[in-house]
Amino acid sequence: MGALCAVIAIISVVVPFAAGLALLGTVPTGLLAYRYRLRVLMAATVAAGVIAFLIAGLGGFMTVVHCVYIGGLTGIIKRRGRGVPTVIVSSLIAGVAFGAVNVGALMVMTRLRHLIFKVITANMDGVAAFMNRIHLQGAAALAKRSFAVGMHYWQWVMLVYFTIGIMVVSLIGWWALSRLLERMRRIPDVHKLDAWDGSKGEEGPVGPVPVRLDKVRFRYPGAGQDALRELSLELRVGEHVAITGPNGSGKTTLMLILAGRRPTSGTVERPGAVGLGKLGGTALVLQHPECQVLGTRVADDVVWGLPPGTEIDVDQLLAEVGLEGLAERDTGSLSGGELQRLALAAALAREPALLIADEVTTMVDQQGRDALLGVLAGLTKRHRTALVHITHYNNEADSAERTIDLSNSPDNAGMVGAAAAPAPTVTVDHRQQAAVIELAGVGHEYGNGTPWAKTALRDVSFVVHQGDGLLIHGGNGSGKSTLAWIMAGLTVPTTGACLMDGRPTHEQVGAVALSFQAARLQLMRSRVDLEVASAAGFSPRDEDRIAAALGVVGLDPALAKRRIDQLSGGQMRRVVLAGLLARSPRALILDEPLAGLDAASQRGLLRLLLSLRRDRGLTVVVISHDFVGLEDLCPRTLHLRNGTLESLPAAAGGMA
Amino acid sequence: MSTTPAATHGSTRRPPRPVVLLVPVPGTSTIHELWAGTKLLVVFGFSVLLTFYPGWVTIGLVAAMVFAAARIARIPRGAVPSMPRWLWFVIALGGITAAVAGGTPKVSIGGLEVGLGGGLNFLRFTALSIVLLALGAMVSWTTNVAEIGPALATLGRPFRLVRIPVDEWAVALALALRAFPMLIDEFQVLYAARRLRPKRIPKSRKARRRRHALELIDLLAAAITVTLRRADEMGDAITARGGAGQLSANPARPKLADWVTLAIAIATAAVAVALEMMLHMSP
Repeated sequence: MGALCAVIAIISVVVPFAAGLALLGTVPTGLLAYRYRLRVLMAATVAAGVIAFLIAGLGGFMTVVHCVYIGGLTGIIKRRGRGVPTVIVSSLIAGVAFGAVNVGALMVMTRLRHLIFKVITANMDGVAAFMNRIHLQGAAALAKRSFAVGMHYWQWVMLVYFTIGIMVVSLIGWWALSRLLERMRRIPDVHKLDAWDGSKGEEGPVGPVPVRLDKVRFRYPGAGQDALRELSLELRVGEHVAITGPNGSGKTTLMLILAGRRPTSGTVERPGAVGLGKLGGTALVLQHPECQVLGTRVADDVVWGLPPGTEIDVDQLLAEVGLEGLAERDTGSLSGGELQRLALAAALAREPALLIADEVTTMVDQQGRDALLGVLAGLTKRHRTALVHITHYNNEADSAERTIDLSNSPDNAGMVGAAAAPAPTVTVDHRQQAAVIELAGVGHEYGNGTPWAKTALRDVSFVVHQGDGLLIHGGNGSGKSTLAWIMAGLTVPTTGACLMDGRPTHEQVGAVALSFQAARLQLMRSRVDLEVASAAGFSPRDEDRIAAALGVVGLDPALAKRRIDQLSGGQMRRVVLAGLLARSPRALILDEPLAGLDAASQRGLLRLLLSLRRDRGLTVVVISHDFVGLEDLCPRTLHLRNGTLESLPAAAGGMA
Repeated sequence: MSTTPAATHGSTRRPPRPVVLLVPVPGTSTIHELWAGTKLLVVFGFSVLLTFYPGWVTIGLVAAMVFAAARIARIPRGAVPSMPRWLWFVIALGGITAAVAGGTPKVSIGGLEVGLGGGLNFLRFTALSIVLLALGAMVSWTTNVAEIGPALATLGRPFRLVRIPVDEWAVALALALRAFPMLIDEFQVLYAARRLRPKRIPKSRKARRRRHALELIDLLAAAITVTLRRADEMGDAITARGGAGQLSANPARPKLADWVTLAIAIATAAVAVALEMMLHMSP
């Protein structure tokens, strides 16, 4: 139910936009109809319709209805496994019905009809007059005459027009959808939690703790090896336990089992039901800050999903997580750390007996991380909840009473607690190199000239030299991402100029490579080799070059046939880099390259970037809220705060 | 401030004002504080009225209402996005062809008889479209999106009796509005990532068209993959909260001002309809 709701919601955001391009609007709705029931489509129609109405008035609403209608029709036929003949027949019926409704509506709305007809007639007359002027009397008279006939039998013209129009659009939609749905079918559902509908041991009172896991193992269906190796543990009421281990060690799987999933073997004993999200049950705080916050306003988010009639003290909860006075703020304006604390407040609103925090700090900057850990540390003293804190940072486990280390999992050489990689000797080149990118007094304002204007950057000037390693450091909202976009030429600054070889960067988009924080958004093809070929601009049949490109970023050429969805976070980032580097960019900008990677992948990526910079003379600009581990890669650091560069005493040599 | 001619060219031209969607204009006013349901009802009502009676009187009255509301809500002119050039062109083209048609009424200017009918009709149609757009814009300029979902749930309460799942719709709408800015950001990144890629232009026109179609499908597939992923993550969050339930911490109710607004709106509509009737009776 939950997942479904979200699918509806999100697809209905897409529809009004795609509907602007008429045909495209049918694709998301077609997908919806293909995957789910009609009722789902209805809910999506309402949501999309209201949004379109707010954006473009009644016309927008009607466009959405058309799109839903055609997309839904195709999607349902596709789901039933029928072919083109069914499309033709049903679109014929639908077209006639639709045309009849429209004709009927226009017959009732006489005024509007007259107005529309008058305008059309006027335009037609104008064209005819013009044709007369250029001595095309015959054609003009013919056009006028046939137009007059059409106007006389407008009901029939309209009916035929709608019928044929809808049939054509349905067939085109069908053609596009059949190709797309094939691809969409293979997009896996990545949702992890299943809603429990009260059938599977969910009867009886809620009571997730104390829980005892005995020789529990878990293997995903179709997987070759266990995601969680045999494990026994016991969790008592009010206990604070940390679970550590690198990516792939089964931390998340353990979380799922604690949240109610059946293990493949072994037993889980608890006194009552898991009660996910129920009062006194189990509450979760997950990794991605933006996706967990469901309300548009802070106070609304805290109560979101509580049973109707439940009264809670929102202000007190917000004060506990350090968000006092923000109840009326928009959740969109909060930073990652604040969003996570808000998610924590929403979890605490349910007075859970078991609270699981799964990698809550990976997407948060240092400041936010400290605040979040501060709240978590004292939690078990203030509430009668057991806290399970899952993390891949060992130092975050310090405040726990007990730590469970999962790092001796088979496919990981326990590197969590390992010392930092041996610092290689960096030869910082002090010779003045040629300038690659020059920023002169760059400033940027979003929404320029509107009441929503917001300054992101003010008077930023610096030079990036050939072979440079530069770190641009700043917290959330410091304008560092805007700066990256300007340097890559994707945004035109409102003041000043960003130049490369004397020409503004926005006239040479692509010369500077940019790796976005969300690597997944940069991967557009379905398979690694297609992706690299498309990003680098060579033919997908050119296997040698693809293998070479993958080799540069340290990926096995055997990976070329792998589907993008099956890559890990670190691999995705490397595939992006392979595509970008194959075009020999003048400079490489990386926006938060380490976010969401575990310690081992972080070190591997840093080593790769360092060797690229040293051996191939690649110019690297890293944009990050972290210093840790970047000293070798980026000997030079610039600090950005509130859109301005902070002057630092001669930033040579990476001091963190 | 710029160093090269190319840069001067880039920075002297004022950038067009972007379209800002579903973000209220900062500040507060009587209009801002109205219940979202009232605004939705009024705007929807006027839209329907304009559809049935698209006369000059109705258009004028509704336009006056929108203007008055915009003044009360203190909406600056900057909130209106600037029009792209091609739209001006389309309007001009339509206007010219319509004006050439002539028709009644006719006026004579210095012995030259000019028919204004076509032009006037075109003008009316354009005005109608603008007023309809402005109505929707007024709601989005003055309403916090957080209020729209709960308002729909309240407005739709009567439909619950006939077993229409209004609450489900309201939850979907509220979530959609929540996801709106998030997805726009992601689409921007998606589009930017595409711009960073090399463009290979095949020789023959057929190959170019094929490539175009393929790219479109790719982009769409990427966009939908991204949205489905988001949806799954959001779905997890909903499951973690134990499903849907309360939507708003302090649900708003219609107040005195709302009833007054509704009364004014109904009165305006009635006057408009009456005037339209009279005008059509008399000639």
